Amino acid sequence: MKLFKKCLLAGMTALAFLGAAQVASAQETDQVGRAAYLDGVKGKKVIFVPISQGMDLNQAWVMVWQRHAARYGFTLEVRDPNGDTNAGIRAMQGAIAEKPDLIIVQNPDVQTYARLLKQAQAAGIKVLQVNMQSATQTDSYVGNDWIEMGRLEMGELAKHCTGPNAVSHKVVWLAGVQTGAANIYMRTGIDEVLKANPELQLVSDQPADYISEKARQITETVLQQHPDLCGIMGIWDNAEVGAGAAVAAAGKQDQVTIVTNGAGAATGCESIKNGLLDVIFNFNAPIQGEIAAQQISELLQHPDRKAGSEKTIFFGPITRVDKTNATGRNCWKPEDIK
Amino acid sequence: MPGSGKSDDRRLGFKASQEVVVVAISVVLFLVFSATLNNFLSQGNIIAILKNVSILGTLAVGMGFVVVGRGIDLTMVAVMVVGVAFSIWISTWGIDFTLAVICGAILVAAIGLFTGVMVAIAEVPPIFATLAIASSVYGSGRIVFASDVLYAPPDIAWLKFVGNGNVLGIPMSVVIFGAVAALMGLFLRKTRFGRLVYATGDNPNAARTTGLPTRPIIVTQYVVSALIAFTAGIIMTGLVTGIDTRLYNSSLIYDVLLVVVLGGIGLSGGQGGVRNVIAGTILVGILTNGMTILNFSYTSQNLIKSVILLGALAIDAIINPRDEQTSQSGDI
Repeated sequence: MKLFKKCLLAGMTALAFLGAAQVASAQETDQVGRAAYLDGVKGKKVIFVPISQGMDLNQAWVMVWQRHAARYGFTLEVRDPNGDTNAGIRAMQGAIAEKPDLIIVQNPDVQTYARLLKQAQAAGIKVLQVNMQSATQTDSYVGNDWIEMGRLEMGELAKHCTGPNAVSHKVVWLAGVQTGAANIYMRTGIDEVLKANPELQLVSDQPADYISEKARQITETVLQQHPDLCGIMGIWDNAEVGAGAAVAAAGKQDQVTIVTNGAGAATGCESIKNGLLDVIFNFNAPIQGEIAAQQISELLQHPDRKAGSEKTIFFGPITRVDKTNATGRNCWKPEDIK
Repeated sequence: MPGSGKSDDRRLGFKASQEVVVVAISVVLFLVFSATLNNFLSQGNIIAILKNVSILGTLAVGMGFVVVGRGIDLTMVAVMVVGVAFSIWISTWGIDFTLAVICGAILVAAIGLFTGVMVAIAEVPPIFATLAIASSVYGSGRIVFASDVLYAPPDIAWLKFVGNGNVLGIPMSVVIFGAVAALMGLFLRKTRFGRLVYATGDNPNAARTTGLPTRPIIVTQYVVSALIAFTAGIIMTGLVTGIDTRLYNSSLIYDVLLVVVLGGIGLSGGQGGVRNVIAGTILVGILTNGMTILNFSYTSQNLIKSVILLGALAIDAIINPRDEQTSQSGDI
C-alpha cells in the first residue's frame, strides 16, 4: 500500500512536471523576436520610384519585394516614371509629401534626385537606393560595385586584347547614359585597367543610350574604321545584342570579344548561346532584390533611428557567365521567381 | 497646284535652293570626311552609312507623306514599337510568327485609321491628336507587354534575311528603304491620288470647296504612315533580333522630323517629296557616321544635330514666309 502511494505520488509529480513542461514549450514556440519583427514591419508604407519598370532587373526586384510585403504585412507602391526624368521628379516629390516609412529609389543619374533625397532625409523618411546611386548618400545602397564592374569588364578585354596573340589592342566602350551612376563609376574602373595595360587602345567611347539599335549602328561604323577590332564592352546585355548583331553581320564573331553586364535574365543567356555576346557579368537581380529586402526589413524595424544617421552599403554578387555556365541560376525567368 | 511647281516659278526656285543647300552641305561633309578620316570612303563604310539610316529614312518617308498633306504624325515611333512588340507578344502564344506579323500590321493600320479619323473628321489639330494617340498607344503597350525589350523567335528565316541578307551586295534593310521610297515617290508624283495629297496640303479649304475628297485623303495618309512605321520596325527587329519599346522615349521621332524638314518639305504642306527626304536622310547619315568615327560625345552630337534642325527651320521660315493664307489656316 505504501508502495502504491509512492508510485501514485511519483506519477502525479511526473504529470505535473510534464504539464508544466508543455506550458513552457507552448510559450517558447514563438520564435524569439518574431513578434517584435512583425510589429516593426506591419502596416508600414514603402514607395519605390524606379527608372522604368519595363527592365528585367526592376521586375525581379519588385517581385521579390512584393512577396516579402505580402508575407509580413507592409505595403509596397511602385511609382513608375517610365524613363521620364520629369515624371520621376514629380513621383519623388509626391512620395516625400506622403511621408512613407521608406522610399526606395533607382536614380536615373547622380544629380537629378540629389536634392530631393536630402529633403526626404530631412523630413525623416528613410531612403534605400538600388543599383543606381545619387550624389547624395542616404541610409542604404544596395546594388553593384560599379567600379569593380568596369574593372572586371575591361579586365576581361585585357585578357583577350593584350599579348602577342591578340588580333589587335583595339577596344570599344559602348556606354549607357553618360550622367548615370553606372556609367560614371564604370569609367573609373575602366581607366584603372587601361592605365595598367598601356597597350590597350580605346578607339571609341560612345553612349548607346541602352538601345540595341544605337549599339548596332555605332559598332557597325567603328568596325568599318577598325576592321581589326579586338573587343567591345558594354553596360547592359539587352543593348549589347545590337553590337553582337553588327559583329555577326560583319562575320567577325571569332575575332571580336563582346563583354557586358546584366541582370542575369534568361534572355541574356540566349544571347550568349546565339553567339551575340561572349561574357555577361551577371549581377543576379533576384538575389540583389533579396539583399534589398533585408535592408527594407532593417530600416523598417528601427523607426527610432533617425533617417540618414547610419549609412550602409551592400554590394551584390557578380558572376562571370559565358557559354560554359549560361544555365540554371545564372539565367532566371520571371516565372521562376514567383 | 503649287506642288507641281509649274504655276509658281519663284517658289520652285527657292524650293530647289533649299534642297541644293542640303545636298551641298552633304557633299562638303562627304569630301571633308573622305579627306580626313581613314576608311570613310571605303565601300563598307558607305554601305554602313546607308544601313544605319535605313530605319530613319523609312520612317521619314512616311512622315514626309503626312507633312506634304499639311499634317504631322508623331505616333510613328509608338506605332512602330508597339506594332512589332504586339506581333512578337502574340507569337509567344504559339501563333506562327508570319501570321503574328500580319496581325500586327492589321492592328497598326487600325491605329492609323483611328488617327486619321481624329484628324480628318473630328478635326483635332494633327500635332495634338498624334501626340495624345502616341502616348496612349505606347501606354497600352507598356501595360500589356510587361517588358520593354521583346525578342523575336530565333529561327525565322525571312526575318534573318531582312536583318543580314543582301541583294547584289546591298543589305536588305537598304533595299526595303529604297523600295518604300521609290513606291512613295511614284505614288506622289504619278498618281492622281498623289496629286490630291499636294492639293490638300497646299490649301485644305480650297481643296474641299473644289470638291476633292480631303477627308478620305487625310485618313489614308495616316494609315499609310502607320504601315510604313511598322515596316521600319520589322527592319529593326531583323537587324537586332528584337524590339526595344523604350525607343518611344528617345529622340527618334524628332530625328525623323529633322530629316523631313531638313530635306525641304515645308511644315506648311503642299511641297516637297521623297527626293527631299532622301537628301535629308543622307545628310544625317553622313553627319552621324562622321561624328561617330570622330568619337564626338553624345552631348556634342545632339548639339550639332539640333543646331542643324534650327537652321533648317529658319531656312524653312525664310523660304516659305508666313502669309495671310497660312496664318488663317494654321501651320500644322
